[in-house]
Amino acid sequence: MMKDKRYSIIGSRLPKVDDRPKITGSATYVFDVDLPGMLYGKVLRSPHPHAEILKIDTSEAWKVPGVRSIITADDTPKKKFSFIQDMADKLCLCETKVRYVGDEVAAVASETKESANEALKRIKVEYRILPHLDDPVEAMKAGSIRIHEDRGNVAFEVHKEFGDTKAAFQKADFIFEDTFTTQKVSHSCLEPRGCVAQFDPSGRLTVWSPTQAPHTAKQELSRILEMDPGNIKVIKPFVGGAFGRGLVIDMIEPIAAILSKKTKRPVKIIKERAEDFSTSRTRYSFVIRLKTGVNNDGRIVAKQAEVIADNGAYNDKGPSVVNYSGVCLTTQYNVETLKYDAYLVYTNKQYGTAFRGFGNPQTQFAFESHLDDIAHKLGIDPVKIRLINANRPNTKTVTGGLITSCGMVECLERAAIAAKWDSKRLIDDIAHNLSRDKEGNKKKGFGIAANIHSGAGSRYYGYNSSHAFMKVSDEGKVSVITPAADMGQGAETVMAQIAAETIGLKVEDVTVHTGDTDLTSYDLGAFGSRTTFVCGNSVKAAAERVRNEVMSFASEMLGVTEDDLISINGYIKSKEEPAKSKGTVSFQDVIKYGISQKGRSISASGEYFDAVAPTVSLTKGYGSHIPTFAFACNVVEVEVDTETGEVKVLNVWAAHDSGRIINRNTAEGQIEGGVAQGIGYALTEEVVISNGKVQNDSFVDYKILGSKDIPKIHCIFVETDDPEGPYGAKGVGEIALIAVIPAIANAIYDAVGVRFRDLPITPEKIVSVLRPQSVQ
Amino acid sequence: MLTHKIRLRVNGTRYEVEVESREFLSEVLRDRLFLTGTKESCGLGDCGSCTVIMDGIPVTSCLILAVEAEGKEIVTIEGIAPEVGELHPIQSKFSECGAVQCGFCTPGMIISAKALLDRNPSPSQEEIKDAISGNICRCTGYTKIIKAISAASDEMRGETATSDER
Repeated sequence: MMKDKRYSIIGSRLPKVDDRPKITGSATYVFDVDLPGMLYGKVLRSPHPHAEILKIDTSEAWKVPGVRSIITADDTPKKKFSFIQDMADKLCLCETKVRYVGDEVAAVASETKESANEALKRIKVEYRILPHLDDPVEAMKAGSIRIHEDRGNVAFEVHKEFGDTKAAFQKADFIFEDTFTTQKVSHSCLEPRGCVAQFDPSGRLTVWSPTQAPHTAKQELSRILEMDPGNIKVIKPFVGGAFGRGLVIDMIEPIAAILSKKTKRPVKIIKERAEDFSTSRTRYSFVIRLKTGVNNDGRIVAKQAEVIADNGAYNDKGPSVVNYSGVCLTTQYNVETLKYDAYLVYTNKQYGTAFRGFGNPQTQFAFESHLDDIAHKLGIDPVKIRLINANRPNTKTVTGGLITSCGMVECLERAAIAAKWDSKRLIDDIAHNLSRDKEGNKKKGFGIAANIHSGAGSRYYGYNSSHAFMKVSDEGKVSVITPAADMGQGAETVMAQIAAETIGLKVEDVTVHTGDTDLTSYDLGAFGSRTTFVCGNSVKAAAERVRNEVMSFASEMLGVTEDDLISINGYIKSKEEPAKSKGTVSFQDVIKYGISQKGRSISASGEYFDAVAPTVSLTKGYGSHIPTFAFACNVVEVEVDTETGEVKVLNVWAAHDSGRIINRNTAEGQIEGGVAQGIGYALTEEVVISNGKVQNDSFVDYKILGSKDIPKIHCIFVETDDPEGPYGAKGVGEIALIAVIPAIANAIYDAVGVRFRDLPITPEKIVSVLRPQSVQ
Repeated sequence: MLTHKIRLRVNGTRYEVEVESREFLSEVLRDRLFLTGTKESCGLGDCGSCTVIMDGIPVTSCLILAVEAEGKEIVTIEGIAPEVGELHPIQSKFSECGAVQCGFCTPGMIISAKALLDRNPSPSQEEIKDAISGNICRCTGYTKIIKAISAASDEMRGETATSDER
């Protein structure tokens, strides 16, 4: 893939601008924040999945030397909270009832970690154990016990229909129905979730948080603490992994704040690894029932889905997740008639939150597996059936969405060509027969799956706009102030590249300042793969203003009209005679000229204004909720050992339309990391909860991929030029994880002829089907 | 609380530290010597974030009791660059190859790589994967980490890696 010749910095493989502290060990994460007088906080959590709190006795705990504060619900504002405040259901410390193993009951601040732990052990809580619910299908039945006293167990529902599905199914040549299930998985960020909270003497609160959305965190803290948001500052230092779990505050944050207020000291809470696995929230598990009407020619004429999602004990991002999975499911293919129903159901389990893909991996695993089945039953090639139904650019969907740039067809074609789909299938069919004859136990298979995802955030939570500021120092260095939140994905690097390209500088001349709500403008946060598009556009706008002013001074200095100048790599030169020194002036000299000759020190602000108002409710029709979409197609080659059930992923061809690529290394990094998480989701990862308790709360028992499990990953970029994206770019972070999951399931089907409908597809499940006698 | 006086060398500097019996090397490095580049993610030796080199061997410092480090030579992430402002070739290749995302596993990963290249200057891909198999990374999918270690070994042996187009 060649870099676009028009640009010097966009499309390159520049190192990340924030690498240096990370590779030298000087990067400060929340984990490393250490303030004078800092106390250590610990949270006492419920050992029961569902119980009434009868009595809490802290008297023995107070006797532990070093203890400075012990708090229970009575020390908190008792203000219920949720990401969507209308659906508030969670106190930061439980008052009358606990609803999952890990629910927060009391907290301690002490001089040392050891004394804090000792104090926790000495808090006596009397519970009355209640029956608990762990199956959402059971929990939604009438007559089930209630998890929240003031409402039923169905926390939220979505019902949407576009066109007359009943009539469309009657007319369809074929109807296919199937059910799929997915599991809870853990973000498993390497940095354990933690926070530091400090009230200063004036009453202002500063919270260090591994957040992806500092401004949202500030508002959330103000709601749960009943504080003026103007009195709260959130700092996002380096973040050791997020993948969605940093979008809503963790209850340790308000708890640390209250402990800090009580003690007048900074308080740090860091979760232990087991506590992190048990309480830092998961991806939502889904049951997905599909019904699809297809004509003889492979054209999908009606698509219907019903989702039952396990909310866990509290709402968090659940309503938004089940809604968004419907947006993707109804937009992915060009289908005229659609129905989507979703039920989000409370259970007494660790609750869910946002996780890379936001509901889309669950339903796409189901639909893309289902479509593979349909293709096989109709005798249509799986690539072809997707091409028949794929969206094309500039399509208005029946859901009211607008697809602008769209490389779906190219993604399908290029992934298939790269994987030698046609010839491989032929060779493979022969090979299969041969190997079956020879009773070999290693079967190879190929699978394909496509996907759609937002490439620019969404218009649900407020205006999808963003602002950037730019300051130019007298030495000619540019400081970009942007709310773009970097969690390792490379947001700061992308912002620096956009600023440098636009002004005509080297990336080393640009520094990015972010992660402090006092410094940056309001912004929705790093979710929905929106940062490159939204924050990138605002940085580009600010950079254009800086460039314009620089060009006007340079024009005066060189006596050449602005139109005849170019700005590149820190120099402004005449287009005509770039070699002549007289026709060249450095950016630094122009800045000095501005300061000394014109009395102007250059600065600028820029905005991305998304004019579409966030007026559509979560439960009504979809409308144009997504500014632009990213597309992907993955082809996967697996080898299945029919004796052991082990699945080896050998190759992944990942074709992506994420618009123009700003940085090839970071974009590939997103795809490679997404594929690794997707393989884990498909094959090895599951948060196992039994009797309400997480059973696999360590990296030994919860299996994320290691260095020896990684296949060859072939990244293919279909660089559409998005009309609204900065330099034509769209987001890539989330879509990277999705298509590989159904592609693996489809490849396993190709290899052994069995359709697995329940994730993860473990060796046990495979062996139990292929060799049922061996597991009896 | 029983305490012990231990002597150890960390990144070439001699230290004498009063430690508790239950204290681990990771805590000594982070809390007493303020070398917070060494991360701790699990406290059980499962993830490799806290890897340091002890007498030439990579160890998970969260499992080494501080008293076990008596008389030992320790190398941490802070100790591998030749001078302030300079980088060890493994560090530069991690940056150039895009092997760093969130960075929390990076110090442990670089240290495991250094221990490998110290004893095996030209490892195969499989040997690289083996050497970092105890280091978990949730962000990168390891591909660029393996590439970076390979490129660093080439550079350290004085061979120029065939680089991608830039």
